[in-house]
Amino acid sequence: MINHIVFIFIFLLGFYAILVKKSLIKMVIGLNIMEGAIFYWFIAITDRGGIIPIVQSTQVAFNLNDPIPQALILTGIVIGASTSAFLLTLIIELNKFTDSTNPDQLGGIIED
Amino acid sequence: MNNILIYLVIVPLATAFLIPFVDIFSNKARKILVGFSALLEFSIGIYIIISNYGEITEHTFFLKYYLGNWIPPIGITLSMDMLSLFFSTLISVSLLFIITYSIGFIGHHEGKYYVLLFLIWAAMHGIVLTGDIFNLDVFLELMLITSAPLVAFKRNRNGTEAAIKYMFFGAIGGLFIFIGVILVYFNLGTLNFADIAQSFSLLPLFSKKMIIIFFLIGIFIKLGIFPFHFWLSKAHSACPSSISALLSGVIVKVYIYVFIRLFFNVFGFDILRETGLDIIIIVIALTSSILGHVLALSENDIKRMLAYSTVANLGIIVAVLTLNTKLAILAGLLHVMAHLLMKVSLFTATGYLLQFTPSHKLQDLKGVAYKNIILFAGFTLTAAGMIGLPPMIGFASKWHILQAFLDRSFHWGSIIVILGTIIAFFYYIKYIIYGFKTISIGPPERFRLILSVFYRERVVTNIAILFAIAVVVVGVFFKLSYGPIEGAANAVMNPSIYIESILGG
Repeated sequence: MINHIVFIFIFLLGFYAILVKKSLIKMVIGLNIMEGAIFYWFIAITDRGGIIPIVQSTQVAFNLNDPIPQALILTGIVIGASTSAFLLTLIIELNKFTDSTNPDQLGGIIED
Repeated sequence: MNNILIYLVIVPLATAFLIPFVDIFSNKARKILVGFSALLEFSIGIYIIISNYGEITEHTFFLKYYLGNWIPPIGITLSMDMLSLFFSTLISVSLLFIITYSIGFIGHHEGKYYVLLFLIWAAMHGIVLTGDIFNLDVFLELMLITSAPLVAFKRNRNGTEAAIKYMFFGAIGGLFIFIGVILVYFNLGTLNFADIAQSFSLLPLFSKKMIIIFFLIGIFIKLGIFPFHFWLSKAHSACPSSISALLSGVIVKVYIYVFIRLFFNVFGFDILRETGLDIIIIVIALTSSILGHVLALSENDIKRMLAYSTVANLGIIVAVLTLNTKLAILAGLLHVMAHLLMKVSLFTATGYLLQFTPSHKLQDLKGVAYKNIILFAGFTLTAAGMIGLPPMIGFASKWHILQAFLDRSFHWGSIIVILGTIIAFFYYIKYIIYGFKTISIGPPERFRLILSVFYRERVVTNIAILFAIAVVVVGVFFKLSYGPIEGAANAVMNPSIYIESILGG
């Protein structure tokens, strides 16, 4: 239960950063916090307290942790890294045109 | 087992990574490689259709490929049923012609452009073929990250802003889908579509609701349905016209495919009906539709008008699919095809016309028809199809949508479709009238180069005219497309066929 509560708290923290912060770079950090919350949560809820899953053939293992969540999270981290790298590139590009990283210059949320 | 399927993903992927190396040596070799790979990918699709023609006509077509020979539910399965075939064919045909159009249209940074285009092609085929829910998520993210640089391709302020918005909303939508995937794995311990479909109904109602809601929010953000429609028009209008055609015509249809596959085959439609979410989806989608039409009417910029028209049509497609009768799904799939053809046709024609105007504004389009009267006639015909006038394909699909709404006696839906048609008439006729206005004072010749250098006029005009002809011809002979679409509708309505074909060895 504590895992879910911590996940929701961190996730909403990231969402708050995206909604409220007046800097695009801080919004990207908020996106990363949201991603991090999901990664943490998924690893935590699938942890069975077993041993780490690459097992030697001589070892007899009864209590293994599921390796799939770790594989999924690894892929998720790669996706998150490329997303934020590209977003930061775009923000640098925008900064060349307008000299600011304020999200309000994007025309607000409803306008366009 | 059929390993032809993996080539549908590998060929564009390999091409994308080959292009930079070939580009170092010579420009000409890169052009040949691009043309060759596009044709190869297209002919793989043709080969699949020809070699399985009998099964396709009997609607029993099913191909599958186990990656690494892992038997499901363990490994990743690629599979192609009638629904995948329908979407795969649409993707291949439209991308082949969009690439041909780009050869004439894009004149700078061509190497990077085709790398991204082929990566999008690979991602789209991956989404359409995959049978693994996490694989689907990865391909969706791949498609987002590779299409965002193309939104910013003009490298001006507007394009960069649009790309930032596109990336933010796409990434947040992707996060919601990722949470859904995690919940599925946490609750069921499997990622395979067929395996999920088998045991999904056994879950407690709360878990089912959470999974459904996360996937719905994610897909609706990416589709640009009503509460999240605001990013779409800017992203779809700030890029070069070839990319507008791709985004507005093809990529959104891939999201429609994800919606259909997940909510009809994997999770099953019963869960939407049980929780009463289907009525909510229909209401939201119809709101989105009418809002898209009104915003398009109030718009003064031709590309943004077309983008808002996409919002309106996507709303109609989602609403009619959610009715979940055989006729409704047939109408929805027909409109997917119709909207794809018409939107690509309109954007390719607009891309040509905008080369002669100082801006995208309505007032600047004055007299643009006389630059190329045949192409503008095609534009007019397609716009008429978009409104829903008879010989064009738009009429056939709208007719079926109306029938589907009336069949379920959902009269609000049919009223909104008719209202949307009337509004659409006004905003398209505005641009056509301005196009035919003669310029009284001043020299009419104003050849302006925006960033996309315009160096092969014949290719561009021919592709635009070709799409306009396709809109009319497919509209006249739309009964011929009934067979495959009925097969696809069958695949949507009977998820058990999909489950048995994958798990049954």
